[in-house]
Amino acid sequence: MTKRLILAFAALIGSVALFAQEPSGGVKGTVIDRNGRQPVEKAHLVLMKGAAAIAEAQSAEDGTFQINGLEDGMYTLVITAPDFLETQVQVTVNDGYVKNMFNLSLSAVQQITEMDDDAFDAFDMDDSGYNDNPTILFGSNDVFNNIAGYNFSSVRFNARGYDSETQDVYLAGVKMNDAITGYSPFSLWSGLNEAMRSKETVNGTEVSDYGFGGYNGLTNIFGTASQVRKGLRGSLLTNSSLYRLRVMASYATGVMDNGWAFATNVSARLGGNDWIDGVYYRSFAYYLAADKVINNAHKLSFVFFATPGQRGAQNASTQEVYDLMGDNMYNSNWGYQNGRVRNARVRKTNEPIAIFKYDFTPSDKFEASFTALYRFGTNGYTALDWYDAQDPRPDYYRNLPSYFMDENPDMNRNNELKYAWANEVWSHSKYYTNLTHVDWDRLYNVNRQQDGRRSKYVQEERHTDQRDLNLALNFKARFSNAFTLTGGASARINRTEYYKTIADMLGGLYFLNIDNFAERDFAATPYKLQNDLDYYMKHGKAEVITKGEKYGYDYYAQVRNFGGWLNGSFTFGNFGLTLGGRINYESFWREGLVRKGLFPGLDQNGNKLVVDGVTIEPTYDPDGSVTTSLGKSQTAKFLTYAGKLGLNYVIGGTMRVYANVGYFTEAPKFNQAFLSPRTRNTMMTNLKPERIFSSDINWQYSGNGINIRATGYYTTINNQSKVMSAYDDVQNAFSNFAISGINERHMGVELGFKFPTYIVPNLSVQGVVALGEYVYTSNPRMTQTLDNSAEVVMSNTYVAYWKNTQLLDGTVVQKHYVPSTPQTAISLGLAYNYNYWFIDGDVEYFGRSYLDMNPLYRTDYAVAGLDYNVTDEEIRYMTTQEQFAPAWLVNLSIGKSWYIQRKYQLGFSLNVKNILNNRNVKTGGYEQTRMVDNTVSKERYYRFDSKYFYMAGTNYMLNLYFRF
Amino acid sequence: MKKTIIAIFALAALASCQSLKEEWQPVFTCDSNLPADFVPYTESNLPGFTGTWSTIKELKALYNGKPVEVTGNVWIKGQVISSDKTGNIYRELYIQDETGGIDLKLGKSSLYSEFSLGQWVYVYCDGLTLGAYNGMPQLGLEADKTTTNDYETSYIDVQAIIDQHVFRGEIKDPLKPYVITEDELKAAIKAGFEGELWGKLVTVEGVSYSNEVFALFYPNSNLPHTSANPENRVFLSDKGTWGIDTWACSKNKFIEYLESGVWDSAEVGSGNTRYGSILGKPSDYLQPGKTLDSFGADAYITYKEIMIKYANSNYVSHYFKLGSTTVQVRTSGVARFSDTKLPSKLYNGRANADITGIMTLYNGSAQLSLIDDPSVSVVVY
Repeated sequence: MTKRLILAFAALIGSVALFAQEPSGGVKGTVIDRNGRQPVEKAHLVLMKGAAAIAEAQSAEDGTFQINGLEDGMYTLVITAPDFLETQVQVTVNDGYVKNMFNLSLSAVQQITEMDDDAFDAFDMDDSGYNDNPTILFGSNDVFNNIAGYNFSSVRFNARGYDSETQDVYLAGVKMNDAITGYSPFSLWSGLNEAMRSKETVNGTEVSDYGFGGYNGLTNIFGTASQVRKGLRGSLLTNSSLYRLRVMASYATGVMDNGWAFATNVSARLGGNDWIDGVYYRSFAYYLAADKVINNAHKLSFVFFATPGQRGAQNASTQEVYDLMGDNMYNSNWGYQNGRVRNARVRKTNEPIAIFKYDFTPSDKFEASFTALYRFGTNGYTALDWYDAQDPRPDYYRNLPSYFMDENPDMNRNNELKYAWANEVWSHSKYYTNLTHVDWDRLYNVNRQQDGRRSKYVQEERHTDQRDLNLALNFKARFSNAFTLTGGASARINRTEYYKTIADMLGGLYFLNIDNFAERDFAATPYKLQNDLDYYMKHGKAEVITKGEKYGYDYYAQVRNFGGWLNGSFTFGNFGLTLGGRINYESFWREGLVRKGLFPGLDQNGNKLVVDGVTIEPTYDPDGSVTTSLGKSQTAKFLTYAGKLGLNYVIGGTMRVYANVGYFTEAPKFNQAFLSPRTRNTMMTNLKPERIFSSDINWQYSGNGINIRATGYYTTINNQSKVMSAYDDVQNAFSNFAISGINERHMGVELGFKFPTYIVPNLSVQGVVALGEYVYTSNPRMTQTLDNSAEVVMSNTYVAYWKNTQLLDGTVVQKHYVPSTPQTAISLGLAYNYNYWFIDGDVEYFGRSYLDMNPLYRTDYAVAGLDYNVTDEEIRYMTTQEQFAPAWLVNLSIGKSWYIQRKYQLGFSLNVKNILNNRNVKTGGYEQTRMVDNTVSKERYYRFDSKYFYMAGTNYMLNLYFRF
Repeated sequence: MKKTIIAIFALAALASCQSLKEEWQPVFTCDSNLPADFVPYTESNLPGFTGTWSTIKELKALYNGKPVEVTGNVWIKGQVISSDKTGNIYRELYIQDETGGIDLKLGKSSLYSEFSLGQWVYVYCDGLTLGAYNGMPQLGLEADKTTTNDYETSYIDVQAIIDQHVFRGEIKDPLKPYVITEDELKAAIKAGFEGELWGKLVTVEGVSYSNEVFALFYPNSNLPHTSANPENRVFLSDKGTWGIDTWACSKNKFIEYLESGVWDSAEVGSGNTRYGSILGKPSDYLQPGKTLDSFGADAYITYKEIMIKYANSNYVSHYFKLGSTTVQVRTSGVARFSDTKLPSKLYNGRANADITGIMTLYNGSAQLSLIDDPSVSVVVY
């Protein structure tokens, strides 16, 4: 009926036009998705005559469009749509007829989405602070994000310098950011590219229909069966920087006549790569989904997917090691076992997700959805563990030449013979693979030599197994053309179990569940060494464990989160305004599942424990409560809120000026709150919510084949806290460092552009400029406690050189910067699209990246050294933040597809990155927390060398695909 | 067009096949993937061995009062008699043949994991350095050329050097300790470096406790604490046991002793330079200048408080008598048994004991290092 009305209306309009004796020519057609042949709604069509835009239209729900009133002549029709490449078509209108173009197909933004593994997984190393997140949220129809998201991923560019956990990532309307860390866990669906392709993204502080979001954008992945592109698809991918082979297939029915839609997606990613030995994939993925459209008002969706598999991880090393090995991609995690490479650090995951979603659309003015999502399964990360044995890491600092010789006599290192031999080993590593890589043979044989074959070395598997139940309700009500209200409510119950098991006994037969760090201080007090004191009290001896059994630590992180948000959008002519707010309640606590000997607390009746006939005097937390390891901690509770205001003014249909401002309070996360969650329930004191102010102003032009967005932004992030643990050489003890009051300021400009060259048809110029300054603006406070005893050795002390390097006379010689992202990033390139070919070439420049700072080096304590005397030279040495050298990169992408019998499609894309083979681009790293204190002068401390990650040299990805 | 498509697919197929060939797999713990058992060295498969052995005694004889770099095809062999399992011996391995024992300065921790008691060890001595530490023979590497070095040898702590000089042989039954007499001990002490007992596994029988200890503490061990820094040294000696009834003291036990007040009369200083008791402050004893300033803000708290603030585990030597000859039992504060009390009967002089350990020489005194827990090494009767 609607269609008929439109046709009638169109006929009427046509008649009027004829009557008016205006030109009778025109153009019409249907915009479709080239892959799925499905209509593309709301595609923007601009008709150009020469360089002038003379008409515009928007495709209807069924993809159709028509432009009338055209004189005879040649025109160019430019079609743009979210998630699709811009397409230009030549049109000739003759004899006053309406030219029917039939189907005009658009290609999805293919070359970006196929690169997502590269962008997401290469830095998945939780020990080093990296995670699975992409640096920029793809999938938006934003010229800056589309170019930067692809081109800048290899240097870990963070938009506006924000941490990646500030990006809100939703799946089927549910916020998926990790309950414990805040990270957006893209690895949960990595390898399911087809199933997760459909998404919608907003930038900065904009509000999405699916959630209130923060200040770093929000993307919602639809993920249900009817959103998967219809048809059968397959692809074969090989690349040189991550894994050798990816095989992927998907099939989706679309919504069938009976109202059902089914979709599936499977993939396997296998093999190693050209650049980093030991990094490999053996990952699989499956996705099953069904939708049932009951009627226009009701739709049910069911989804189940998982990505079981494992992959080897990379490790950072010092520059000394890289230089000696002649390879900045050296990975110390692996060694040969029977001639095969074996990685000690392997991430093993199998975390299925089940989703139920109900969509309710009683009218075109109201829509709502309810989603229940449950995540479960296991997430493990292996590593070597050892008891009373030599450190098995090949690049342990005592194995390096620098440990035996240093030019600085104060370092007290001068033995030429040892230096020469250590140098010989590392500079001729192929003859000493047992010393420059993990010596698996030795580990096995040490275990075999022990009495009863007690394992001295094992491979542990650290688990963070989530049980994560999420409920989300979202709605959108259009009260009038001028006012739309969106909102939602959510609830989350998360219980994450942290524990470790023995993954491999490495030739031994048993292992004892005791704490070898505790043994250093309390060897004569057996109960204190016990990781499970209750077992010891019951059996009179330490627990004997074997493969697969838990040991070390075992506790729940319990998180509860409830929230709601509302956002109103008002439109007054060309002026728009959005105003929204969010309120959230979060609580979390630790629940210890074992009683640790170091912190036994009281018995279940509140009485002192008696072990080995001795009454144990409890220790006390800073708040006066008994330090415990078993049972529940106190509960941290936070009520947070946020507000956003957006203003938007459209000029002439092609230009938009808009601004956003937001203020947020954010609860600290569980992993920022507990001093040493593996050992005890003690929480940081004075935990406060973060306070964020964010604003941006933007100018956007989109028309005539030209896309430009320019943005200026200013953000302050205050009251951040974090906890880290490290060995302190001065205390000779493993320590916990709790830092609070970290403030940052992020400000800068972004420019993204793409426009035709007007010289060569179909050739565009595209580029991105991101200039920012992301700095620390406060000197936080730090409390240091010893892990074994909870003794406070540094209490609420100012980290006096955190925000800058300031000399004794007050001169600031260096600001300190938010690390691990270039603060200058520029890309300039050409893009050619014609007849199903695409060729993109880009030149990029990255500068002003900084190394992640260690707070200990920024304390007066570390700067003053052993003589308590601070000099400018010591300040400069200890507190200066390393700036990475700038880098130039050249990338090239090429692709083409063919239709066979108008039914099948074959295509390929080839991406070659870092064509200049620049192997000296640091992408991240960290300062070690350790200090050299054994000096001759006994006047000062020296830093340990920092550790780095580097970008791979020239690498390629070839993707072949077919669809029908 | 067709050719292009075929070429691309051929390329992809080639890449994929290549990838399958190249793809290595993570090892799994099935038997076929386990590394082979370690094959111990024997005299027949030692690399470069020409069939001539030197005895440990012959090796020691090369020492001439100064460190000597051993040159030539010099091999010694011996069986392991030490274990660092209890932590009382650290970064050293003692081996013994029929002529005596020697301290091999393998600068690695947890050596007992790879060197079992009784295991044969073959040492290619060419390039190693024979020296002495306060009279005790040691085989290590050339000394560090640092300005603060006091040692004639340095640790063999580069694994590549160990691999070329130290070869692990078959594991045999542990050697039985040699029971020494007072006369033998006196003779060894008199002989000094050349004494045959040093570095040997021995039992001293029938010793009695002398009610005397010796310990040296550095109030702030991060500051200079050589003999040139008496302001940072505290001795416990010449006054009985100072209340110490444990073999040594861990950090926590050290603090416990300090807080109990039994060491309050201990003096700061060494040699002829004595400042006063640890209840005084550096500002009470020292003049402004480097020595006082080096304590920073700590200059105005008592030495006792400084010692608690920078507490560490500490060695303690307990004195025993074999007949009339003193034997010190020196125990490390990081030993697992450091806080274990001496048997009360022994401590109170109501019983004697047989004590087994490695006999060493320290500045003309005989010191015994326990290699096992006192419940095994010290038999009281």
